[in-house]
Amino acid sequence: MTDTSDQFVERVLNRIKIEGVHPRPRWEFLLKNYLFWAVGALAVALGAVAFSAALFEIENTTWRLYLVTHSDLFSFMLSVVPFLWILALAVFVLIGYFNIRHTKRGYRYPLSLIAIGAVLTSVTLGGALYAGGYGGQIEESIGSFPPFYRPILEQERNWWLNPTKGLLGGVVVSAASSSPLGFVLKDFSGHLWKIDASDLRGIDLTVLARGGMVRIVGVPIAGASASSTIFHACFVFPWRVFGLGAPALTPPIAIFSSSTERILSIARNSECRGIRPYKQLRTLDENGF
Amino acid sequence: MPGEPTDEEIVRRTIAEKDAFAQLISRYEAKLGRYLERLGVGVREDREDILQNVFIKAYRNLNSFDPALSFSSWIYRIAHNEAMSFFRARRARPQVVLSEDSEFLMSELRDEHADSAGAAERRLSREELSRALAVIDSHYREVLILRFFDDRSYTEISDILQVPLGTVSTLIYRAKRALRAALPKTFSL
Repeated sequence: MTDTSDQFVERVLNRIKIEGVHPRPRWEFLLKNYLFWAVGALAVALGAVAFSAALFEIENTTWRLYLVTHSDLFSFMLSVVPFLWILALAVFVLIGYFNIRHTKRGYRYPLSLIAIGAVLTSVTLGGALYAGGYGGQIEESIGSFPPFYRPILEQERNWWLNPTKGLLGGVVVSAASSSPLGFVLKDFSGHLWKIDASDLRGIDLTVLARGGMVRIVGVPIAGASASSTIFHACFVFPWRVFGLGAPALTPPIAIFSSSTERILSIARNSECRGIRPYKQLRTLDENGF
Repeated sequence: MPGEPTDEEIVRRTIAEKDAFAQLISRYEAKLGRYLERLGVGVREDREDILQNVFIKAYRNLNSFDPALSFSSWIYRIAHNEAMSFFRARRARPQVVLSEDSEFLMSELRDEHADSAGAAERRLSREELSRALAVIDSHYREVLILRFFDDRSYTEISDILQVPLGTVSTLIYRAKRALRAALPKTFSL
């Protein structure tokens, strides 16, 4: 040092006096620290929101019917992998990690511990949100904003509102009065269809008879009137929406009589055999969906 | 020394009475000066300027000092940051000139050097060690200086460099390896 110790002390104290340096108030530091924690916690919470939406999207994707709705696995994956939510989860976890790392003692924790902790917290909270029935609300409400994103149920509704391709989804509203093996279905655009169930197996009929939302693979047939069209059903799959809470219990649409049980042993007609991919659909139908 | 106030007590007093800060300056001026020199702030005037800034910053931020940690680590952290800002502003490489040996470091290096056969019997000079320290990565240099010249514990190094404890161990291990590689091939420790 060029100064003696006393001179140096004097110079520092003089500078403090001349420059009017004062200790910054404690609350400023506390506030800064709390802000880091708050932003970190908020980011992890938003990560949980993103995870619950991702979970909703994954759970409500009909993975087993991808060959029915799409030409190949790649185009199907592009539509259903929740890229938006995975990206949002990653961004929020990173923000959470950064903020927690910059809290007063955040540097003491191993980086991996903070990173894994942030991910696990988001995943656990996100799982809880999903289990509480919020995943769907989040996915549908937030997911409706980005122009490049379509909520999964909306996508599914569009895929199954394609009768010319043999795909029809909707709600079974009643049993048809004119035919012993017929049902009336309201599709997602509000259009009523008469479902010809004469070619269905018992397991498919059970699904229709229960009522509620279903997916039908079949062949459209020109109807007698413009307002109602006939759809020849070949396979029927239940459409359960996961993550929106327990569905309301509704009474069954129809109850089988012994005469309908015979259908179990009858093979489908040639019309149904032409639909794609018949073999996989049969396997799915027989093994349960 | 018994009867002397602790750093933490002086900090509390300084909040109420500015002049009490003189005691902290006296306690840390020489230690921090040596630390800055080892980090590579070679010119005395530069060291003094940095030291003044360190104490002014410490005074301004006294209320951010967490008494659960040691004051020593806290002010070393400020000194470390100021030195790094100095190197960045000057775009200068640290000029490491050791003014004393570190038997601690020598013994550490000796232990790990024991396997190396055929090393000629020659004592490592202070200049050679300085040169080797100057060429290794700055993170490695910092951690070696804190551990082997300033005798800081792993916890203190963790608080000064603001890295997890496990990272301190890894850094020290790698730093010793890097230093050995940067040392002349033939010497005895």
